[in-house]
Amino acid sequence: MATMEMDDPKMGEKVHWVPEDLLSGMTVKQILFSNDYRHIALKGIMTSFIMLALGGTFAVLFRLELTVPDVQFLGARVYMTLMTLHGMVMVFGFLIPLVVSISYYMLPKVLGNDRLLWAGAAQASYWVLILAAVLLVIGRPDFTWTAYAPMSLRTGNQFVWMGHLAILLVAISEFLAGAVLFRNAIAGKGGWSNTPLMAWAAGTIGLLFMASTLPLGFVGYGLLSDYAQWTSVAWFDPSRGGSVQFFLYVFWTYGHPAVYLPFVPAIAIIYSIMPRFLGHPMWSYWSGVVAFVLLAAGAMPIGPHHFQPVYTVSGDYQRFVQILTMLVFIPSVLHVFNWISSLFMAPIPDSARKAIPFKFMIFAIAFIVYGGATAFLNAQIAPDSDFIHNTYWIPAHFHAMFFGFSGQMAFAGVYFLFPYFTGRMYNQTMGNWHFWLWQIGLFIKITAMGIAGYLYFPRWVYDYLDIPGWAEAQLFVTIGGYMVAVGFLFFLVNLFWSAKHGKLVEDDPWPVVHDLKAAPAAAPAE
Amino acid sequence: MENALGIWGPQAIMMAITASFTIFGMIMLLAAVLMKRRWKPSYTVEFAFIGLMLGLVWYGDYLSQGTYSAYQKNLNTEEKKVSGNYSGLDEQAFDRTVTVVAFQWGYAFINEDEEISRNAVVVKPGEKVLFKVVSNDVIHGFNVPVAQITAEIDPDEKRELWIKAPDKPGKYLIQCVNYCGVGHTQMKAWLVVDAGEGESS
Repeated sequence: MATMEMDDPKMGEKVHWVPEDLLSGMTVKQILFSNDYRHIALKGIMTSFIMLALGGTFAVLFRLELTVPDVQFLGARVYMTLMTLHGMVMVFGFLIPLVVSISYYMLPKVLGNDRLLWAGAAQASYWVLILAAVLLVIGRPDFTWTAYAPMSLRTGNQFVWMGHLAILLVAISEFLAGAVLFRNAIAGKGGWSNTPLMAWAAGTIGLLFMASTLPLGFVGYGLLSDYAQWTSVAWFDPSRGGSVQFFLYVFWTYGHPAVYLPFVPAIAIIYSIMPRFLGHPMWSYWSGVVAFVLLAAGAMPIGPHHFQPVYTVSGDYQRFVQILTMLVFIPSVLHVFNWISSLFMAPIPDSARKAIPFKFMIFAIAFIVYGGATAFLNAQIAPDSDFIHNTYWIPAHFHAMFFGFSGQMAFAGVYFLFPYFTGRMYNQTMGNWHFWLWQIGLFIKITAMGIAGYLYFPRWVYDYLDIPGWAEAQLFVTIGGYMVAVGFLFFLVNLFWSAKHGKLVEDDPWPVVHDLKAAPAAAPAE
Repeated sequence: MENALGIWGPQAIMMAITASFTIFGMIMLLAAVLMKRRWKPSYTVEFAFIGLMLGLVWYGDYLSQGTYSAYQKNLNTEEKKVSGNYSGLDEQAFDRTVTVVAFQWGYAFINEDEEISRNAVVVKPGEKVLFKVVSNDVIHGFNVPVAQITAEIDPDEKRELWIKAPDKPGKYLIQCVNYCGVGHTQMKAWLVVDAGEGESS
């Protein structure tokens, strides 16, 4: 219906959307080397599921250890290795590659190019990342994903340099991915004002990828150099003349943009699929554009809110960072305002209410509100110097943002794309199980983490004292985490089963039907 | 300032604002999805909303800055800011000054008489205690939950923070909150509040 509206680039939709069985038709050669954007994207999506399973298994193991006080079966080194790999695999291996792969898949279709420019760079980005993941698993670093020098140079693990090298490789991989996103974002034909919002997202975040991975690359190089003593004066190691503050500034100049790298493409998925489900354009196009530009522009200077800059405690610089951080809150609020207004402005079709991707999207918005509102509090120096800095409050915040929002939005994208790359519809019942287990599990997990943080539970511990509230909070984090794990199993079964036995999809898998009772024939296939 | 960074006061206001903001967002989302009535906001609504946000940013900065600089002022009235070069002019403002050396993995407390104790510092109830914290090796944290204060300690820097000791005698946790290596979990110390008249520590 409403074909003309669908062709409007501001709808985030265009032609070229044909359901077909791509997944089972891929040959080994295509899986390894094909530069077709759909093949690269599918490879990336499937690989990130493997990474999620890997990172999730690590979490399942260490959550079991944390459920009750005292040491049960994981020692400090094994626990910290699992924790480090959990963080690195989830962010660098699962979340960023998943949203980037979905962008690779959707951008050429949304822009109408039907091909990915600089696909070779996307291919290289994939393989460099695989190399980094292999190095991480072999090297088993235990310095957490932030790799703070000089601790990360003195872990007593003789393969720790593999972790440093992996950081450098991740930087190269993400730089290439950013270049591909930016090149494709500017490949639209309609000029500035006709560029779909997904391309605005890819363009701004592509630039941010390229700018912010330079400091990350330097961190990787500097750690390698300090570890192997390539220079007579160290970069970061204070015992050989280096500066820890220098490390912190360089690292967090990447580290804060790093949280936007999955965040912005996830926002872009909303701007693409929400109009499809609602059957009308977003509430405001330019509000979205402005928000994307502001978010990318503000990302790098506010990195120092992640640590306490020395010499400037309570000084003007820290205050500047505090104000700027709170101001960067505004573009995110503009996005949420835009989404809620789009939902509010016209009746929501029955077909949308029933669709799993739409449900994931609504709850992802709920999680961005839940986790995002605390950003306003976290930005302020006074509460940060009380219970926020490096307590469980921080994992609560970033699990809500990384997983509750970005991760769930990525899964909304995967469910949305599922009929397009398998030619079949997913199983609705299993989809619902996955959906509810994740919403309830994530809510329990994030809330319990927040409470633990409020009670000053420190991050990165494998054992803790029996202080009132601590054990209860940890128990609930574990329960929530395990619900998420079971939900993921439902998703995996659904993926494999429905790809083979799901109901065949003819043309449009997502028709907009306002009253399903009146027109049951047009209901989306289950 | 009884408890400069205490949750009751400026922080409670901020927590309340954050919570109301969350609840407001959730209600709007629920209304947009569930209500029969439809509503298309105008740009005026959005600009008004941005105005509200800017107001909140101003208020957040005002309150946080006020709280924190009042805390710092109490720490060192002469210098206003804590710098790497602590002059020690205002140590008289405190009942007790303790130098803390954070190392992998523990804390050593050195009192005014140069006596060292490991992983426990003894103070009197209600005392104002100044901690001058340095790190020996890597980045550590110094968190005193009962006093609601946290600092990050870099190896090439010096940090000062002060607390008002609890009035109730007992053992209170001091912990590291920055991952500092494989023994991070064990990096704890105790703030022992002892009402005894005799020589402390």
